[in-house]
Order: sequence, then C-alpha cells, then structure tokens
Amino acid sequence: MRAQRAFVLLFGLTACSGPEPAAEVEGARLSLVETLSGSDTVGYARALEPRAFGFPVDHGPHPDFRTEWWYVTGNLTSESGRDFGFQFTIFRNALAPTLPGGPSAWATNQAYMGHFALADVGVGRFHAFERFARGAAGLAGAEAEPLRVWLEDWTLEATSDETFPLSLAASDGDVAIRLELAEGKPVVYQGDRGLSQKGPEPGNASFYYAHTRMPAAGRVVVGEESFDVRGLAWLDREWSTSALAEGQVGWDWFALQLDDGWEMMIYRLRRTDGSADPLSDGVLIDPDGLRVPLEWGTDVFMDATGSWTSPIDGTVYPSGWRITVPERGWDLSVEPRLGAQELDVSFRYWEGAVSVSGNGEGGAGVEGRGYVELTGYAGFAP
Amino acid sequence: MKLLSQASARYLLQHRVQLFLSVLGVSLGVAVVLSIDVATESSREAFRISAETVSGRATHQIVSDVAPLDEGLLSRLRIELGLRESAPVVEGYASSAALPGQALRVLGVDPFSEGPFRPFVVGGGLGVDVADFLTTQRAVVMSRALAERAGLTVGDSLPVQVSGDSWSLQLVGTVDPTDELARAGLADVLLMDIAGAQEVLGLVGGLTRIDLRLPGGPEGEALAGGVRTVLAPGESLVTAGTRADAMSGMIDAFDVNLTALSLLALVFGMFLIYNAATFSVVQRRALIGRLRAIGVTRGEVLRLILAEAAWIGVAGSAVGIALGLVLARGLVRLVTRTINDLYFSVSVESVPVEPALLMKAAALGLGATVLAALPPALEAAGVRPRVAGLRSVAESRMRYLVPRAAVVGLVAALLGGAVLALPTVGLTVSFVGLFFVVAGLALTTPAGTLVLVRVLRPLLHGVGGTLGLLASRGVAGALSRTAPAIAALVVAVSVTVGLGVMIQSFRGTLERWLDGTLRADIYVSLPGVTASRATGTLWPDLIDDFVSHPDVVGHSTYRGVDLLEGGGGYRLVALDLDPRGQEAFDFIDADEAEVMRAFTADQGVIVSEPFAFRRGVQRGDAIEIPTPDGPQNLEVLGVFYDYGSDQGAVMMSRGLYDRFFDDPGVTSLALFVGPGVDSEQVVRELVAGVAPDRTVVARTNDTLRSASLDVFDRTFQVTAVLRLLAFIVAFVGVLSALMAIELERSREFGVMRAWGLTPAQLWKLVVTQTGLMGLVSGVLAVPMGIALSVVMIFVINKRAFGWTLDMQLGPAVLAQAIGLALLGALVAGIYPAWRMARTRPAVALRGE
Repeated sequence: MRAQRAFVLLFGLTACSGPEPAAEVEGARLSLVETLSGSDTVGYARALEPRAFGFPVDHGPHPDFRTEWWYVTGNLTSESGRDFGFQFTIFRNALAPTLPGGPSAWATNQAYMGHFALADVGVGRFHAFERFARGAAGLAGAEAEPLRVWLEDWTLEATSDETFPLSLAASDGDVAIRLELAEGKPVVYQGDRGLSQKGPEPGNASFYYAHTRMPAAGRVVVGEESFDVRGLAWLDREWSTSALAEGQVGWDWFALQLDDGWEMMIYRLRRTDGSADPLSDGVLIDPDGLRVPLEWGTDVFMDATGSWTSPIDGTVYPSGWRITVPERGWDLSVEPRLGAQELDVSFRYWEGAVSVSGNGEGGAGVEGRGYVELTGYAGFAP
Repeated sequence: MKLLSQASARYLLQHRVQLFLSVLGVSLGVAVVLSIDVATESSREAFRISAETVSGRATHQIVSDVAPLDEGLLSRLRIELGLRESAPVVEGYASSAALPGQALRVLGVDPFSEGPFRPFVVGGGLGVDVADFLTTQRAVVMSRALAERAGLTVGDSLPVQVSGDSWSLQLVGTVDPTDELARAGLADVLLMDIAGAQEVLGLVGGLTRIDLRLPGGPEGEALAGGVRTVLAPGESLVTAGTRADAMSGMIDAFDVNLTALSLLALVFGMFLIYNAATFSVVQRRALIGRLRAIGVTRGEVLRLILAEAAWIGVAGSAVGIALGLVLARGLVRLVTRTINDLYFSVSVESVPVEPALLMKAAALGLGATVLAALPPALEAAGVRPRVAGLRSVAESRMRYLVPRAAVVGLVAALLGGAVLALPTVGLTVSFVGLFFVVAGLALTTPAGTLVLVRVLRPLLHGVGGTLGLLASRGVAGALSRTAPAIAALVVAVSVTVGLGVMIQSFRGTLERWLDGTLRADIYVSLPGVTASRATGTLWPDLIDDFVSHPDVVGHSTYRGVDLLEGGGGYRLVALDLDPRGQEAFDFIDADEAEVMRAFTADQGVIVSEPFAFRRGVQRGDAIEIPTPDGPQNLEVLGVFYDYGSDQGAVMMSRGLYDRFFDDPGVTSLALFVGPGVDSEQVVRELVAGVAPDRTVVARTNDTLRSASLDVFDRTFQVTAVLRLLAFIVAFVGVLSALMAIELERSREFGVMRAWGLTPAQLWKLVVTQTGLMGLVSGVLAVPMGIALSVVMIFVINKRAFGWTLDMQLGPAVLAQAIGLALLGALVAGIYPAWRMARTRPAVALRGE
C-alpha cells in the first residue's frame, strides 16, 4: 500500500529546504506528479506476479525497485495510564535505476526519508519529525542479515541473530521512543499472495506483507518526562515501482487491532470525483493469523461520520468513520484519539492513532485501537 | 563679506592655471587613495562573500590541519552525537578551457544535508532536479551567469582540469539566485554532489570540512564538547569564519602597504594645496593689507582664505572621486592578480563602492585641503596692515624660520627614526614613523637649499656670469616661495628613489636567491590556481617515468601542505633531497653543512625567515607541528632565507614527514640531468610522454626562474603604478609652484627687460633658476631617498613580510633622481619663461 509515498520522497528532495514562495512549491509539486505519472519506471524492477518471499532476506532492501518502506505504527500505554500513538517510517527511494558510478563511497542512487510521530494522547499533543539522508556513507541504509534499517540515529534493527525481537529507536529534540517489538502473529501477505495491485496496468503493483500484531514494550520520553510503555505495533513492508493510476488522488488506510484477537486492514483508493477506485482492498486477520479477504463495496463498507479542519490551510479531512462487514456482523465506530495528527512535513498528510468500538466477528461487542492514514487531501486540488 | 567673496572669486579666476593645477592636485590625491581603497576592499569583499556563500549559515566548522577529514566522521556526528545540522563539504579549485583565466571553486555538498546551510543548494523552483544532481556521475550545477559565460546549456558537458587531471562535468542545472549576495558568491562556484567532487578533486574518502550549526549558550557548549571528543588529532572545531578570517589576514600586510602608498599621494596633494594657498596669500599681501586697513577683521581674512581652500577641496574631491572610480577598475585587476599569484584565489565580479569609502575620500580631500591652507591663512590673518605689502617681511620671516624648521625637522626625523628602531611596533606605527622621517627631512630642505645654493654660487657665476648669479640669488632670496616647491620636489623624488631602490634591491635579492635555490635542471609540478605555490599531487607512475628518463641522473621531491592558523598560515614541506640539491638553502647565522646534516638525519625542521619572524622563532627553539598523531614538538635546526612566500614555510625531511603523516604524495619534482644534456630537450621528451588526459608543468631552471621573476614584476606593478601617480601629483605641485614664482616675478623681469635684458637672456635666467631648483631638489633627494629605502627595506618590508633584503644601490637610481628633479623643474619653467619672454616690458611693468 502507500504507493504514493514515492511522491512524498521525491517531492521532499526538491523542497526540504524550508520556506519558499507557495507558488513555486506548488509548481514543483505539480511538475513532480507529472514526471512520475510518466514512464520513468524504465530500468526498475516491477511487481508483475506473485513471488516466493524468503526471510530474513525480504525484510531487507530491494534496491532495484523504486520505492520501499518499513512502516511501524502502534498504540502504547504507560504504567500510569498515559496513552500514546506512534508512527515510525523509513522510506527508501531509488532516484535512478543504476548507481552513478565513480570511486566515491558517497555515490548512490538511493535516498532515504524518515517520518517519526508521537501522539501524546494523554495531554493532547502531537509531535512529528522528518529526515532525509542519502543511502551512503553510513548515514542511512538497510541490511537484511541481520536486519538493520536506519536513517542516522533512527533505527529499526534486530537485537540478535534472529530477526525478532526488533529494536526500534527514534528521537528528535526532547521527544524519543525506544521499543522492543516481538514478532507476534506470523507474516500476512496482502493482495494476491503478497502482490498488491495498485492500478490496472501490469506492474503497477507492490509486494506487500505485514506483521499485524506485534507486542511492543519500551520507553517514551516527552520533554522532562519519561514513561515505560506497552502496547501493540503493526509493521507494514512494501516495495514497488508503481504510482497512483490516472484519476486516483489519494487513499484512506485503516489498520485496526481488536481486543478479540482479530485485525482489520482496509484501504480506499480515492478517485478525483471522490468515489472509491475498484482496486480498493481489505482483509481481516483471525486470531490465528489466517486472512479473510474483503471485496470493497461488496463485503466492506465505510462512511465518514465527522471531519477535522487543518489549522494550517483549512484542509478538511474526514475524522470518524463507520466501517461495516455486514455478512460477518462487523459494525465498527472508529474515532481519532486526537484530531490534530496531521504531519506537517514536506508532503502533508494525516496519520493518527484511533480507537475502535462496536461489534466484531459474529457481532460480538468489541473494542480496539489502530492507525489511520489519510493522504491526498492537503496540497492536491481535486 | 560679499565684497570679500567677490575679491576672492576674481583672484581665483585671474589665476585659472593655478586654480586648475590645485584642483588637479587634490583630485589626483583623492583619486589614488580612493582607488586603492576600492581595489583592496573589492577583493576582500569578493573573498568574504564567496567564503560566506560557501560556508552558508554554519556557526562552526570541523577542519583538519593535517589531512582531509575522514568521511566517516559525519555519520558518527549524526548517529553517536545526534548532531543533525551538519553538512559535509568537499572543496577545491578547477580551471576550464571554457572559462579561460578563471579559477573555479568546486563545492561538493550533500544536498540532503544542505537545508540549514546553503539554501541555494536545495529549495523548490530552482530548476535543478536533485535526482539528476545525485545520480548523474560528475554532475555540476552553476549560476546561470557562469553557464552563459561558458556558453553552456543544461545537458552540455564542461571540460575541467584539476591538478593536471582532465574531467568532463555534466551540467544538470543552473541556479539564478535573486539575492545579489548569493549571486556574487556563486559567481565562480561549480556546485557538485559530494561524490563527484571527491572524485574530481582527488579526495575520495575524505572531506574538506564539516559545517555545523550549534545553538548558543550552554547547550551549544555541551554539544561542542561532545564534538571534540570524537575528533582525531589535527582535527579541530572552529567557529565559522575563522578560516576565512585567517585567509583574509594573509593579505593584511599587503593592504597596509598599498594604503600607505596611496596616502602618500594624498600628502603630495596636500603639499600642492599648501603651495597654492601660500602663493595666493603671498600674492595678495598688498590686497589683504588694504582690506585690513579698511576694517576687515582677521577672522574674515582667515575665513576668506579657508573658504577658497574649501572650494578647491570640494571641486578636487568631486573630480577625484570620479577619477578614482575609473582608476579603481584598473587597479582591481592588478591587486586581485597579485592576491591570486601569492595568496589565494579570489575573483572579483564587480567593484561595489561602499558609500563609506566615498565619504572617506571626500573627507580626506576636503580635510587635507583645508589643513594645508591653514598655515598660510593664519599668516595672512596675522599680517599687520602697514607692512602687508612688503615682501621683505615674508622673506625675513622665512630667514628666521629656516634654521628653526631645520631643527624641528631633524628632531621629527630622529623621532620617526627612533619609532622605527623600536623592534616591537607594528606595521601601521612603522608607517607613521616613516611619515615623520619624510616630513622631518622635508622641513630641513630650506636650510639645505640655502647651503647648496651658496656652494653652487661660484660655479654658477663662473658658468653663467651675472645671470647665473642672479638665478642663484633668485632661488635663495625668494625662499618663502621656492622652499615649499623644492620640498615637494624633494619628497616626490626621494619617495621615487626610495621605492626604486627598494624594488631593485628586492628583485636583486630574489634573483640571487633563485640562483642559489634552483639547483635542479628541471622542475615538474601541476598546473595550479596560485602562481607562486605548487599544489596537488603528482601521479606516482608519472614520477617513476620521469625519474627513469635516461638523461635524468638524480631527483628531489617536494610535498607542500598549506596549514591555516590564527592570523594567517604557513606551508609545511616535506623534502627528499638529492645530494646535488642540498646546497639550495642559505641559513641565517648557521653552518649550512651542519644544519643539512641534522636535517637529513630527521633531527628537526628548518623554517623560512618569514615564519621565524612572524612567530619570533629562533634556531634551537622547538615549534609545534600538528600531525594526525597529535601535535609534535620539533627543533628548529636553522632559519633559511626564503622569498617564495611571505606566509612562511616549515620544512622537514621526507623521512620525518612520513613518520607523522600518512601521505605519500609528491607536490613537485626536481630533476637533475647529466652534464652537457640539453634540459629543454629533456623537458620536451618528458612532456611528450605524458598521457593525453593529464597536464603537467615541466620547466627548465631558466624558465622557472623567469616565471618567478614575472610573478615578482606583476606583484610590483601596483607599486609602480602608485609610484608613478604619486610622482605625477608631486610634479603637478612643483609645476604650479614654479609657475607661480616666476609669474609673480613678472614685474621684476619687466624691469630687467627694460634695462636691456633680451628675451633669450630672460629664457636663460628663468631656466637656470628653475634648473637650479631642480638640481638642488635632486641632490637633496638622494640622501633622503636612500634613507627612505633603508627604512622600507630594513623596517617596513621586514615587518610586513619578514624578509631580509640586500640593499642594492646602483648609480642609475641616483642619477635618475637628479635627472627626474632637473627634468621636472625645467619642464615646469618652460611656460613661465615663454610667457615672460613674450611679454613687452611695459605691460609687465604696469603691474597690478
């Protein structure tokens, strides 16, 4: 999923410098969209058919594909009962299909971007940070064995010869997180055996797997305070050489962890006219890790029940949803734990901790937590 | 008062030539001062802007004295210390056939790190695709103006040379900063990705520096402390600008010298004003007397004369500023070429004129004029009405003053000499001392004139008869008029002589030094940015090829590394000397063979004279040299004469160098050929064997020697220009003074004509008289010029640059002095003589 983050990364490269006249930034943004909707998939590997995943190798980088990410989100609670949501993402982006050549260790075609956000639900504060580095000279990179993905001192890495548990660390200023993530449920392959189609053309697809329920424990630091925390995390891994198809403007993505042991992952690819693209997708994962695919518009339905307006420029995001899977009795109400969880980074989007309540499998009463990502609202005129 | 102004205006208008010369004198003085100011200021400013542009908004920098920084340091800073605002920089120089004559600054950066530092590198709307920048091998971005000058558009390739290697850079974008400062700063910058810059500059694995932004206060202190813990020996954390300041400090002495010379021109301009004002007073004594008699007060007279001077000052300053700005454009080229030859690369794109400089020039022009007019104005105001008309009053007053002035002058000169003799004073104070010497000696010239004229009188009588006698009496008897003119001429000629002797001595010393130092037959180095200093690293295989040429019988290698510190820098040199090259050094107070034995036995270092001078180091002292293993204390085995650089050099044997530095490179190579072998032929053969993508400079002993002297001559072109300008100002002064003298005596000449003096005899009289003044000035200028050259050679040069020069006094320079003075005075006498000879006695006698 999250194919459009390719834009995020590339855009970030040309405009990460700070204040620039709005018109110029807008121009840069649009021209980049044009560039990327073109044919510069030439020379990159593409996701054309399901592949045989192998681990731990596939936890590591796939530099022949244009984009890739290690995406960890989760909800945490301190011993004293203070709630936090966190997002830790490292994006890899190939700027060209091949290395530029030359003897320098700095020569690379790989660029890395990191986003780190902490929702301090207890006090209603949201912190978000962004970083860039080239995938060279030790500044940023990804290695499979042992697993290590890093952008400067933001790291996701194995703590032993085994891949799990993973250690996650990120900090900026006086906000920091350090977690240990257990494997939890086994890998879930999204789409068709891990091949997730994003557009009608062959190859406009990604390889996509997830760990949907990873027990997490560690420490969160906010200012002078520090908290021992526990909770659940979700790891999304995806790599592709794809882009949004024509007519797609963004997506609404949900990763929900319910306290009866089930998870739900759904995403709606939004079209220019506001409708859902037929390639929108969803899946339920049962307590044993088995997946139950959902057909968008047939099995699963989603409606926004509220909205949140960005103080930055008045962008209106949906905020609060009703999600139903009528055949299985699911009827969930999803509410942001904070309204203001918009990441004001190079490419603005809303990604935040949510709480879930309602009816789950078989219509039984259920509660839960999760993460929602909303893109394509800010900056893009529909 | 209106009446007074009218009288004043009429007087000035009636003496148009004199008025014109006065304004011209002030103009030239102001123009010279302003143009030097603008030229030095422009080159400094260009350097500062370019340094600031490339260091961006950094607050600190990590630099290394001894070697490139290890590139791994950046990730340690980011990961171990979490120091986010840090940017790696690789920097160096290149040249391009597409941009002839321009040193190009290669700035290698990591665009991801640039956000906080150099906003021109990243930022939307600049038309540069960062992906192209990163992933095109040897991609380059430059300012649109530079691209246009090179005739390039995006997609073209730019051929460049760096230390002899040829590269082709791909132009992937241009930037066109709207900000004037960034535009100026980018004027000579080739912006590259760090990977490409490392490759092209031969710095793979290393960084030139790391720029940092540290917060202020205790937090910043703590971070700085953290940074220091991860630095290797030789690496240091300095505040941004420290290095630029140190580099800029290299040219301080050079600037002071130029400024002093330019002020000299203004002082001559002041002489001129003094003359003009004195004459205007002297000529109007009768008028002033009458004015006083009818009730005009002293204050009014004083104001009148000063107002006249002020008007001349205003007009002269205005013309001078215009003239100075024109002159500055020419001088900027000379000044920056010298800086490029000797110190560092700077390219001046524009000659911005600071309003402050204009104000300074105008204030100097006006102030100097009024100041120079003050003594005659006071004299005029002090005149008693009854005796005002009598010139004899002025003359007897002059006779009273002459011996006293001589005493005061001698005291002043001695005082100046005493200041100069103090070993501790700085350069500026030395110039003040020099000024006292000059001014003091100038005050003794009237006395000197009287003595000389008396000595010459029998001779004149013998040769010229009565006319000769008349001429000599004219000079001595009209001392109140002739003395200032003679003094001005003496000063001008003596300064010319002094500078001439200094330059001649310097060049002679340099030549002798070159003869002694250039022992090898062929010198090989890389084409570099700075003419006087070899840089870069010769290819090892090329060295092998050259050394194994059948006619080459021996070789020495030289490794030069420039170290910056405090207010300047020095060059650390590693020498591997062929036995034939060991006599190249001439040591101060030490036995050559003994020092060289210790040197080749790795027992210590030898330092150049400027180095020893700047740091107060003597033979036997220990000096601290930064090395990758930390600072090393090494003994100074000897101090050698070196005129190659005023920044100083420390030399050690290659063995000692290799013990401390992991740097096998060789900067230049000296080859010895067998007896009877034609070096030129060997050079041709060596160069023919060099691979086509490489460029080396191989020169014979003779070629290098003359190239070095060329640099010297270029360096002193500025001095020569200033010397000429100063002389022109003084000459104009003398011209106007002599004209005034002769014109004032028109009545006297009229009487002589009436008595039967023929026009030809009058010509002879006037020319003899001015010639006598020229001769007297020339004779007086010789000792004064020698005194000045002694000061310049042994005090000023030593304090500015640390060089000991051998004074070389040729008869030519002295003959030139007398010739100049004579010629100047004779030329100045032509117009009055011509005019007098043409005037009918009756008209001349009609008088006022």
